[in-house]
Amino acid sequence: MSRHLSVGLFDSDHDVLAAARAARSAGWPIVDVYSPHPIHGIDEAMGLPRSRLSLACLVGGIFGAAFILWFEIWTAAVDWPLNVGGKPFNSLPAFIPITFEMMVLFGGLSAVVALLVVARLRPGKAPPFSAAGVTDDRFALVLERTSAPMTAARVRAFLEAHRAVGIEERVVGGEDL
Amino acid sequence: MTLGRMRHWGVRLAAAGAVGIGLGLLRTPDRTWAGLLIASFGLAAAGVGGVVFIALCTVSGATWPVAFRRIPEALAAALPAGALGLAAVFLLRPTLYPWLAGETLHGFKGAWLSPAFFFTRAAIYLGLWALFAWLIVRTSRAQDHDGSARHTARRIKLSAAFVVIFALSFWLASYDWIMSLEPHWYSTIFGVYNFAGLFSCVVAIVVLLAMGLRRAGLLQPALRDEHLHDLGKLLFAFSSFWMYIWFCQAMLIWYTNIPEESVYYVRRLEGSWATLFYLNVALNWVVPFVLLLTRQAKRTRMIAYAAGVVLLGRWLDLYLMIWPAAIAGAPHVGIGEIAPAVAAAGLLLLAFARSFASAPPVPLRDPALSASLHYHS
Repeated sequence: MSRHLSVGLFDSDHDVLAAARAARSAGWPIVDVYSPHPIHGIDEAMGLPRSRLSLACLVGGIFGAAFILWFEIWTAAVDWPLNVGGKPFNSLPAFIPITFEMMVLFGGLSAVVALLVVARLRPGKAPPFSAAGVTDDRFALVLERTSAPMTAARVRAFLEAHRAVGIEERVVGGEDL
Repeated sequence: MTLGRMRHWGVRLAAAGAVGIGLGLLRTPDRTWAGLLIASFGLAAAGVGGVVFIALCTVSGATWPVAFRRIPEALAAALPAGALGLAAVFLLRPTLYPWLAGETLHGFKGAWLSPAFFFTRAAIYLGLWALFAWLIVRTSRAQDHDGSARHTARRIKLSAAFVVIFALSFWLASYDWIMSLEPHWYSTIFGVYNFAGLFSCVVAIVVLLAMGLRRAGLLQPALRDEHLHDLGKLLFAFSSFWMYIWFCQAMLIWYTNIPEESVYYVRRLEGSWATLFYLNVALNWVVPFVLLLTRQAKRTRMIAYAAGVVLLGRWLDLYLMIWPAAIAGAPHVGIGEIAPAVAAAGLLLLAFARSFASAPPVPLRDPALSASLHYHS
């Protein structure tokens, strides 16, 4: 199934933010916004749900801490008990710095891996969308024309009213975006 | 809470605390003096902490706190009351410190902890803090008249100087006023540890005052959930920083296990002290950490509960540092410990409300105000 898209290109983040807000309040489906840098408030303007990346970070952090704590206790006190400075084999305070470090490491890596998986980013993946300048100094708002009132002409007029500097109409396959 | 009610409660708490201190001095004088040292140190630290908050935000170029900067500014007014309490302890009950009670120390420590030098230093620390509090708050009040950016430039210079001066003087002050209660014990990280406690306590006080004033309608349009959210992040961060430094001190002493160092922890893990020792960790880190974990919590009443727990933890932290060093035996909490804390809370409210009422609740002509009002956390 093919999808009919209208792409508006903007010169400033203010304009794309305002256009995204207006499109959302008009009830027009926003496919995505492309920007060379993060824009404050764009999630809200697009109506995106809150990111669950922090959950992946939390779970990864807890797992990292629990795993390494078990591993330290197992190596130092169970599998090969080692006398270090006359301390008990199972010396919790000595294990805490490593536990902390591994919690941070696993938390951080989990967030990165979760992002790559959810965004389906992998080496060699072809870019799903390209427009001149969106990795440089341009901002793009991609709208999908789903229903009859959203004719290409009306969407074009809407984007022009929001100071779009370039407008393209595209037809893509269902899985492309 | 309106300023009028704040003043009203301030007077009541201070009066009740004063009566309690009087009774305490009659019944358990030693414990009451120790309680006074705890409360006065906490109050003075909260007062100078308000200035530290402003200075750190200023030197780091943070504009988001401008909308509620009058809160830490007015908090600085609590410094004189804390200084007065400290002076009362030092002058009226010097025997709290063994080396002022006749114990002779040798070498550099003996010279450093000589009475005249000790009192001179205390006057210098408190004098410097009061001077910078006055200078930094003055730039903000002067800006209300002409809105000139040169006041901001001056505040940046003063803040940069104060951050360095405060770091050194507060470090030494925590050595002088708390660590020297046990003059043979030492920990080089003690100053950082005290700074961590000071800052998480200050953020907690700012959170509670901000929410109270907002409910009374005083900061209504200026203070937004975005600001609370970032204050919540700071509280979360500095509570964790406190834990980090707490652990740094405890672990190194545990690891080397030298008697002259470990005696500090042995004393605080004996009998029922151990419960308080671990409760300290729970109140200052575990509970606020869990409460503030979600985004939602930092924008709702949950942040106020977390701040309340941190304030309780702050008192317990100072109690654990000071009380076992000054008084022998098992822990006690009675009128001698509670009354000074109540008086300190009353004086803080009173000084804050008076100072806050003396200027517009928002620095209206600060050039950075608009950035703060439109801030996204």
